[in-house]
Order: sequence, then C-alpha cells, then structure tokens
Amino acid sequence: MSTEVNVKEKFTFWQALGHIDRRIIYLVLAIVVIVPLIVPLKLMKDVSPRAREVFAAIDNLKDTGKPLMISVDFDPASLPELYPMLISMIRHAFARNIKVMVLGLWPNGTGLGQQALKQAAEEFSKQEGADYVFLGYKAGVDAVILGMGENIKAVFPKDGNGRALDSLPMMTGIRKLADIGLIVSLSAGTPGYADWLLYAQSRYKARLAAGSTAVQAADAYPYLQTGQLTGLLAGMKGAAEYEFMVFQHGFSKAKMTAAPAMDPQSLAHLAIILLVIIGNIGFFADRRRGKA
Amino acid sequence: MSIMHILLSWQMVGALLTFFIFSFLFRDNPFYKFAEHLYVGISLGYTIALTWYSTVWPDLFQPLFFSPASQVAVGQKLLLVIPLLFGLMYFTAFIPKVGWVMRVPMGFIMGWGMGVWIPATVQTTLIKQIQGSLLTPTMLTKWHLLLFGLISLVGVICSVIYFFFSREHKGAFKVASETGIIFLMVGFGASFGYTVMSRMSLLIGRFQFLLRDWLGVIH
Amino acid sequence: MQRNIPLTICLVAGLMMIIQFFIPHPISTGVYSITTNWVRLISAFALVLGAGSLIIHHVIRLQRRQKGWPYSIVTLAGLAIMTVVCLGWGLKSGRPGDVIYRNIQVPLGASMFAVLAFYMASASYRAFRARNKEATILLVAAFLVMLGSVPIGTAIWNKIPIISEWILTVPNMAAKRGIFFGIALGSIATALKIILGIERGWLGGEK
Repeated sequence: MSTEVNVKEKFTFWQALGHIDRRIIYLVLAIVVIVPLIVPLKLMKDVSPRAREVFAAIDNLKDTGKPLMISVDFDPASLPELYPMLISMIRHAFARNIKVMVLGLWPNGTGLGQQALKQAAEEFSKQEGADYVFLGYKAGVDAVILGMGENIKAVFPKDGNGRALDSLPMMTGIRKLADIGLIVSLSAGTPGYADWLLYAQSRYKARLAAGSTAVQAADAYPYLQTGQLTGLLAGMKGAAEYEFMVFQHGFSKAKMTAAPAMDPQSLAHLAIILLVIIGNIGFFADRRRGKA
Repeated sequence: MSIMHILLSWQMVGALLTFFIFSFLFRDNPFYKFAEHLYVGISLGYTIALTWYSTVWPDLFQPLFFSPASQVAVGQKLLLVIPLLFGLMYFTAFIPKVGWVMRVPMGFIMGWGMGVWIPATVQTTLIKQIQGSLLTPTMLTKWHLLLFGLISLVGVICSVIYFFFSREHKGAFKVASETGIIFLMVGFGASFGYTVMSRMSLLIGRFQFLLRDWLGVIH
Repeated sequence: MQRNIPLTICLVAGLMMIIQFFIPHPISTGVYSITTNWVRLISAFALVLGAGSLIIHHVIRLQRRQKGWPYSIVTLAGLAIMTVVCLGWGLKSGRPGDVIYRNIQVPLGASMFAVLAFYMASASYRAFRARNKEATILLVAAFLVMLGSVPIGTAIWNKIPIISEWILTVPNMAAKRGIFFGIALGSIATALKIILGIERGWLGGEK
C-alpha cells in the first residue's frame, strides 16, 4: 500500500512562471481577444503582395469576359477564415461585372456559398442566371472535378435551384473547365485545393488560385513556386487583406469582418509568443533546480 | 440591441449553443454533451437531405424511373442501372450473411480512384515539383534568385535524404540528413505559426458573433 | 468469390483508368465519362455506411441503457428531425431546413473548433520547450511567421513580414516539397498494391 503525502511544492518566481494555471491562460486569451474587438486599434494598414496577386488574377477576368468559379470547400467550422474571402471575392466580381459560378464539394458548406451569393447579389442587384449561377453540391469529389473537365452540364444539368443550365444566359459558351477564367478553391482540408490541383489543373490546365485556412496554407507554397497555383490567400489575414482591397478600391462599402479581426489576432499572437517564452523561462529555471 | 433581441432571437440560440460548447473548457458536462450530440445528428440529417436533392434524385432516380423515353433514352437509362445496383449493394453491410457484397462497389470505387489518382499525382506532385526544384537560366539574372534557388534545392534534397532509412546515416549522408532536419524544423515551425493563426481566427470569429450579432456591443 | 470478385473489379477499374489517361481516342474518353458519372452516383450511396453505423451505434446504446444513453436520443432526434424537415421542405434559403442550418448547425460547427484556440494556447505554453537546437529553430521560425502574418509584426519592425515570407517561400517550401516527394512515392506504391490486390486491408473482415 502506497502512502502519498501531498506536499505543496515551493517554486521560485522563475519556476512559477512555468506552472501557471490553465484557467489563467484561458482568461488572458479571452481578454486579448475581446478588448481589441470592443476598442479597435486599427492596426491593419497595408496588404501583402500575395493577396494582391489573387486580387489581380480575379480583376483581370473583366478583360477576358470569362467567368470566375468559386468552390466552397469548407464547412461552418472554418467560417471566420474563409467566408469573408468568399463574399469579398463575389463582391469584387460583381463590382467588375465578372460572372460568378459557385459550387461546393463539402455538403455542409454549400449553404454558405448560397448565402454569400444571395447577400452579394442583393447588394449589387445582380440577376441569377444572367450574372451568377449557384451550381450547388454534388457527391463524388474527384469524379465531380473530372466530369466538369469534360462537360460541366453533364455533372450539373441543373443549377442549385433546379433550373436547367442550358436555359441560363450566362452559361452560353461555357462547356467545360477550360472555359472558366479562374477557379478559386476556398479550402479547409480534403477535398480542397489539392484535389483541384490534381485533376483540374494537371489534366485540364485550368487556372487555379486558392484561399486556404492557415493550417494548411504553408503546404501550398511548393505549388505557388511552380505556378500551379496562381495565388494564395492564407487564413484570416488573407481574408482581411482581400476585404481591405475591395473596400479601398471602392467596390463595396459593406462592413468588414476579417479586417477588424486583425487587432485581436495581433494581440493573440503576441500573447502566445509571450506565453511560450514565459513557459521556457520556467522550464529552464526548473532544469537549473534539477526538477525538469 | 434590444433586450428582446438578446433573449428571444435566433442569435440567442446560437449564443447559447456557443456557451454550451465553451463550457467544456471547465470540464465535460451535460450541456457540452448535448450540444455535441445535437451537432452530429443535425449535420448528418442535412447531409442526407442534400445528397438526395443534389445527386441521388436528379441524377439517378428521376432519369431512371420518372423520365419518359423522349427525355432520357433507353440506352442512358440502362447505363444508370449499374450505379443503382452498386449503390444498393452498400446496404448489404447491415446484413451479416451477405455483408461481403458491399466490397463490390467499394472495389470499383477504390480501383477507379487509384487509377485516376496515380497519373495525376505523378504529374502534379512528382514531375512538376522536380521541375520546380531545378535551377534555371532565369535565376542567373539576379543574385538573390540564384541564392534562394540553391538553398531550396539543397533543402529539398536534404529533406528527402533525411527520410531515406534504407541506408545508415553516416558520413556525408549524415551531414545531409542533419541539414534536412534543419529545413524540416523551419517548415514545421512555419506550419505551427500558421496553425496558431488559424485557431485564433476561429475564436475571434465566435467572439465577433457574440459581441456583434448577439449583443450588439461592436459594429 | 467473396474476395476475388471485388479484387478483380478493383484491378480492372484501376488498370482501365491508368491506361485511359494515355489514350485520347473517343472510345476511351467515352468510357471515362461513363465511369466518372457512375462513381459520382455510387459515392452518394456511400453515405449509407456512415449513417447506418451511427444509427446502429446509438440505437444499441439506447436499448442497452449504456453510459450516456440519453444523449443518443438527442442525436437520433436531431437526425430524424433534420432529415424530415430538409426532405419535406427543401433546402432553399428561408425554408425551415435552411433556418436550422444557419442558426443551429453553423454556430455549433464554428464553436467546436473555436474552443481549440484555448487548448492551443495552453498546450503551447506547457509543451513548447527549446530543449535543443532543432526545437529552438522550430520556435524561432514559428515566432517570425506568427509576427509576420499580423499587422503588429510590421509595427514592431517593417522587415518582419519580409523575413516571414522568405521563411515560407524558401526553407518551408523546400521542406514541404521533400515531404511531398516522400508521401507521393509511398502513396503511389500503396495505390499500385491496392489495384494489384497485394494490399487487401480495404476488404475488411476475415473471409
């Protein structure tokens, strides 16, 4: 039978830095997020070259007359990062009279695509069928992309509202993926931009850009370097930059959601960095006293 | 925001469910469990309905059983019988005696999927990426392009060498492997940095909903 | 027969699609289009497996009054109600199914992952230690990328975003490419083994 004596350890100040209660950490995080939301710091002032690449790629479609296709490859879990990208891109396209097609490879995200289209269409008085089409969701991922590479209407004979694609004015002359000016995959995982790369870009030479959650954004850089991806928006920062550019160019006066979030994002990052440094100080103090 | 909106709106429902999920921070509790189980149920229900409306009804059942020959040719209908049969075979998974029949559609999907995936991957991930690693004459025009190109090339080769375990890592191989580790650590650090950004963004999004859409404290 | 038929179908389908990739003849593309359409339709039925497994699991939990059985009622009721409402009234904007989706499913989904931020902060504080050279390199790279990806990084030093972008574009890109090579080669080998019937784990079961 073991006997345990509960002796409260005595830490030095430096050691105590490595043993902060997790609830204090949760509280600190909540404060650094809530306060700058209520009292904005307005830190966001400029936009990175990466975001400008995507912006230019979409903007240039106005000269080609080809439509923009956006694939909603995310679900509500990634809403704060990718939904602002989605609606900003649609607003940008509508402001420049670029036709928009939206589809979804994730069943739980398709509703978000429909919501964004409806919201932006009301703001810009755009007509469904003439200025935009909501294709909806189809099961099959790879088979959907490959099928559209040959014939979009074979995969989506009707739009998300049940109307024959052949009857829609904007679908005249659009038969397959090669007829699309730019495909943007807003991606939170699998299926996502990687599937569009594998099938649409490699087999059908479709022009592809990606908006991705920050988690997988670092993995996209090899494809950016080879030019397989035309551009990349990474996480909420990418969304904020795109929103900011749409606002700066006067394309939309709608309230921004991602750009104001850069204030709490900045402070949260600083807080995490400080917490890791403090934790390491405590760790080294423990090690000196022979406890680690 | 009015008190009525805060207490009797759909945003209140969303806020309540958010707090149920966040309550897990203190400990597992009935509110969290309720929210978690509710989410699983309604997500699946939504997916079932969406799959029916988007794919199964318009692309299979309607053309096969509810469309006249003038709209859908007999030949096209016959072609739809095969995916219908394969799809129905999935239901045998719940009948132990004939459960093996489920392997038939799975075999088709697996074979088809691997068959399209292999050439696509060779092209996208191997050939294109090897091409991207090469030093090109364009890089000679600017010193930093050549330097960064060389660093990338060294990094790629050393990272691949690190994962080559069929040969003992000693001598020059060990040096290359250790160089590869440095590149890999930088890569993992970058991924970690971005992962922090991602998670914080999701939390900020939730607080924006609570403060703006529910309480109306921010605009 | 129980294993040979699926393995044969897998082999034929796999080889057919690999060969088809290199043959642009109309017959080849016709077969490709037909099989692609079949896969879309068959994939939709795969939902049956997931849904059926979930329902069976919760029904058994309910019947046997296992731990947490009241929550199974929540899951099954949520599933039934959402399915009936969405199938009955459709999914168009403004319909009951869409209202439930936007006001219940979306907040729940968003909150599930939002709570991870707290755990990430706590885990980073507790676990990320610069114990050796490699861990230190990882931490420094992480800090630079974290600062470079927010406006405050520019406010601290205007070169931080440039350094962060360089880290992502050069060493990170090289490392990820190396990892991709390894994954691609291993996955291609596994895919070939699946097509040729050497790898049979997907068949499941003994017989």
